[in-house]
Amino acid sequence: MSRVADGVNRPAPITIEIDGAAIPAHPGETLAAAMIAAGVYRMRDDRSGAPRGMLCNMGTCSECFVWIADGQTWRRRRACLTPVAGGLRAATREGQP
Amino acid sequence: MTHEVLIIGGGLLGCAAAWHLARAGLAPRLIEARGINAGASGQNAGSLHFQIERRFLEPGASGQGAQIVRLNTLAIEEWAGLEEELSRPLDIHMHGGLMLAENEADLALLASKVARENELGLPTQLLSGTEARGLVPRLAPHICGAAWLAREGHANPRILADAFADAARSEGAVIETQSRLLDLRRDGESWQATIEHSGRIVTARARHVILATGHWAARVAARMGLNIPLYLAPLMMSVTDRTAPFLPYLIQHVGKRLSMKQTDDGNMVIGGGWASAPQKMADGLPDLDAPPYLVPDNLRANLEVAAGVMPCLRARSLIRSWTGMTCVSADQLPIVGEVPAAPGLFVAAGGSMFTLGPLLARMLARSIIERAMPEEIALFSAARFAHLNAFAVPS
Repeated sequence: MSRVADGVNRPAPITIEIDGAAIPAHPGETLAAAMIAAGVYRMRDDRSGAPRGMLCNMGTCSECFVWIADGQTWRRRRACLTPVAGGLRAATREGQP
Repeated sequence: MTHEVLIIGGGLLGCAAAWHLARAGLAPRLIEARGINAGASGQNAGSLHFQIERRFLEPGASGQGAQIVRLNTLAIEEWAGLEEELSRPLDIHMHGGLMLAENEADLALLASKVARENELGLPTQLLSGTEARGLVPRLAPHICGAAWLAREGHANPRILADAFADAARSEGAVIETQSRLLDLRRDGESWQATIEHSGRIVTARARHVILATGHWAARVAARMGLNIPLYLAPLMMSVTDRTAPFLPYLIQHVGKRLSMKQTDDGNMVIGGGWASAPQKMADGLPDLDAPPYLVPDNLRANLEVAAGVMPCLRARSLIRSWTGMTCVSADQLPIVGEVPAAPGLFVAAGGSMFTLGPLLARMLARSIIERAMPEEIALFSAARFAHLNAFAVPS
């Protein structure tokens, strides 16, 4: 999936990190939007190891829980409710990267 | 047709009572305005707290509060037999519970509590901080003691009422959801209920009515001109992400509001009686049908109490908080039984209703089947508030 380009003015891109890879994102986007634009649909794994991705995009379903680096620890956050910020590090598996 | 028993409310109490009555051949009819387990029965944190609760130890609490442990000893046996009686797993865990003390004042309160409980026949034990950490090594180093009850624990509030409803149906109970009580009035020797079901208005007659509508009970009774002193208790609960299993016990705190347990999946469920804020109707009164708002300050305080006794929680992530409404009675003890001013009308509500629900439902059913209130629940009888209806002429 890609961003709409025609007739849209976005702030200059910033760089975030998803599972160790540098990904461009624009201030004002959610992490979920940036992940999907980067082709990352698998946001977490369930107990059986099956992939889970965004469903509701409004903070209700909890399907898009990812890990966000918070100093030395990792916190779980809903990607659809997390605004991007320069230097943000996200992981789709615990303890990554 | 006149039903023997009409039950209003499809929560834990109503569904369990329906099952007991159906098994006795009384073919009850249960109506529920929304869905089974939609109210407090499914919103609470699932603690099975058989020790004297912290709220009964607060300054100003009724001295009779401790009497509830007599009922708790019966409730322990009730829960212990439920999975077998209902022939299905119910996530009931009774591996023990700890009520923690963080300082000398807590410890003194705990010691007097344990002495009182032992007098009343509840085998709690006072543990040192070291003994408590022997059971739960992750407790904070400053925890200086705990009251231990080997059969405390927790159960899954999302499945129990449904299990009772299924069992009741299979014994011949009629259970109708989306079926809202509009009016209830005495008519000769029986009761007549007006019910809205799927847009249709129907009436039902019954010799006995059980009002098991949780925090709606006082308002339903008020419509009949009856006073039942039950007051709204809007609460909130939280759950963290999963972690490796380390806590098979229920954790409470003798001086602060806290309940904490770990689910089979590894999530930590944290609550303990912290208030949420009801939504208001146009007239400023609480909206009983709307979910209350989370109160961020109370959420933070609740989590701080939890992390204070279990520091490893600081590394966990909160994945969800939710709110629910229950009610407490004027003296904090449950109100169970026939309302003296309204013969044939039975009520059961008013605190600890998850822990006590299965037992009180059985007692309530027995009082209808045997036409006499069981002696075990005499202390909780609705008759203790009969004076409030001394001038009531029930409509």
